[in-house]
Amino acid sequence: MLGALACLVLLLIGTMVAMVLYTAWPSFRSNGLAWFGAGAPNQGQLDDIFNSPANPAAYQYELRAWPMIWGTLLTTAGAVAAALTISLLSAIFIVEFAPPRIKRVIEPVVRLLAAVPSVVYGLVGVLVLVPFVGNLLVSERRKAEVQYVVQLTGDSLLVAVLILTFMITPIMVAIMVDALRAVPRSWMEGSAALGVNRWRTIWKIGVRAARPAIVAGVVLATARAIGEAIMLAMVSGSWFAPNPLDGFTFLVEPTRPLAASIVFYLEGRTVPPLGQTLAAIAAVLLISSLFLSLAGWAAKQPLKRYGIV
Amino acid sequence: MDPLTPPHAAPLPPPIRRIAVDRSPTTVAAPAAATNGHGHGQPSGIVGGGRHAQRAGRAGVERMRLEDLSISYGRKLAVNRVSLPVRQGEVLALIGPSGCGKTTLLRSLNRLIELTPTASREGRIMLDDQDVDRMEVTHLRRRVTMVFQQPNPFPMSIFDNIAYGLREQGSSRPRREELEPQVIDALERAGLYGEVSENLDHPALRLSGGQQQRLCIARALAVRPEVLLLDEPASALDPRSTARIEDLLVKLRDEVAIVIVTHNLQQAFRIADHVAFMYLGELEEYAPTDQMFGAPRTQRSRDYVSGAFG
Ligand SMILES: Nc1ncnc2c1ncn2[C@@H]1O[C@H](COP(=O)(O)OP(=O)(O)O)[C@@H](O)[C@H]1O
Ligand SMILES: [Mg+2]
Repeated sequence: MLGALACLVLLLIGTMVAMVLYTAWPSFRSNGLAWFGAGAPNQGQLDDIFNSPANPAAYQYELRAWPMIWGTLLTTAGAVAAALTISLLSAIFIVEFAPPRIKRVIEPVVRLLAAVPSVVYGLVGVLVLVPFVGNLLVSERRKAEVQYVVQLTGDSLLVAVLILTFMITPIMVAIMVDALRAVPRSWMEGSAALGVNRWRTIWKIGVRAARPAIVAGVVLATARAIGEAIMLAMVSGSWFAPNPLDGFTFLVEPTRPLAASIVFYLEGRTVPPLGQTLAAIAAVLLISSLFLSLAGWAAKQPLKRYGIV
Repeated sequence: MDPLTPPHAAPLPPPIRRIAVDRSPTTVAAPAAATNGHGHGQPSGIVGGGRHAQRAGRAGVERMRLEDLSISYGRKLAVNRVSLPVRQGEVLALIGPSGCGKTTLLRSLNRLIELTPTASREGRIMLDDQDVDRMEVTHLRRRVTMVFQQPNPFPMSIFDNIAYGLREQGSSRPRREELEPQVIDALERAGLYGEVSENLDHPALRLSGGQQQRLCIARALAVRPEVLLLDEPASALDPRSTARIEDLLVKLRDEVAIVIVTHNLQQAFRIADHVAFMYLGELEEYAPTDQMFGAPRTQRSRDYVSGAFG
């Protein structure tokens, strides 16, 4: 019974993947590997695709998706790195140091935060953070200097990463708290009994033993960050590839990651070449999440041997 | 074999009189005076009379001293005003029925009890005339290390288990080649090296229970402690592993002061030089092993060592 159900689920997933790939194929075929490269601005390309002539032979497909890929990489890596640090420290604090009174408050709050819909975070971003960055963090002078290259409105990489971090941290904290709590006391005590101080014990024994769960948390959070569309569409700005060489301005430059881009052109999906292009973007997201799971699995392997599962 | 059958070991202790309580005669003649020999059915390896022959006249140097030590969990008193010396060159066994506070007492010696939030302590514990409360706790625990009832090797390789304490000691990160002599030495002292010399990189958790426990002893010895605490180290092990560990402790007692909790009277008799009998949190009797098993002072000790209860 359960086996049949599992097969059904697998079948559904398989069908979905096949469908996405099949739909996406014309876009990839037409662009070749250049699909992943850089080139003209994405906005113009996507508009051209949207405005394709009705004649299938004249469909436009040209897309150099790098700015979107770069946007996804930046927002995801930034948010996951920040969230990993914050959540690991918070989880250690909650499990090892927080007085019971604080624990009783903090834990439900964390679990609640993990369940807040992303659109709510997006709204907070639009209403609070974007104006803050746009009006206070970026000087008018700087805006004027770069206005022919990019508009610095406050919709930015910085806001995107901040909110994304805030969005994925609670889940990671929840997972890590459970993992750290599951580390056998006897290991922690064994370490303490050798004269190893508390912090080192937590780090070398607790975190190490909890590493598979930490990896799982990171994978989950990364998947959520890669796939986050609505919130990023609200706060991250237009298609642009932020340039790290721009110094501080890099952070306040806009970007539009892959998933958010789909949202923007969803209405145009009935134009066949655009629908196929969106499917191609979806396929890239799908495949990266597959690789993500694989990487997570691989990261756990070396520890298994020593009895950490 | 009846687990309470005493080893025919020492020439010294006289047979214990059966106590005249109206209980069925479950009592066993205690460590009987017998000829030297190994006819006790245990796997060979348990050191016999030779060890006990040395017992007479052993006068260890006092390393630790408990003064009026009391420990409570919340309002529950677990150890009540115990005073005891711990000497180097001898094995001190803590015996007593379960729940009498042996583990609690042992864990207070290196202040591991402080990891239990509800526990509170009164009285003094001195290590070489220095109050342990005045010492840096990590420093104290390096000098007074502990082996637990359940073997608890870390989920790492054998090598890393032993090297763990050494690596965490210094501020620099010594390389493997620098640590190897110390790791091997610790494994040798714990009598494990011969079995694992080929596979130092194997996971420690794949070892057998007895090997794991000796690994834990090696781990505790690697940091060169002055006092070694063991909480029923053999209770989860088979007789053969138990025998090996007992041997080991007897060999080690000249280098480190050893305190072992055991609920196995034979074990206490076999390896201890002094025995402390605890009952409901109080120290009922503290005496040289021969006296404890031969001529205990109090009625309760007499009942206990003769196996009448517990
Ligand atoms: N963490 C704890 N919290 C509360 N009571 C405890 C705790 N640990 C032990 N006790 C109590 O303290 C007493 C002594 O326990 P313990 O030292 O473990 O005895 P033993 O090792 O001699 O069997 C027992 O009555 C036990 O129930
Ligand atoms: Mg105990």
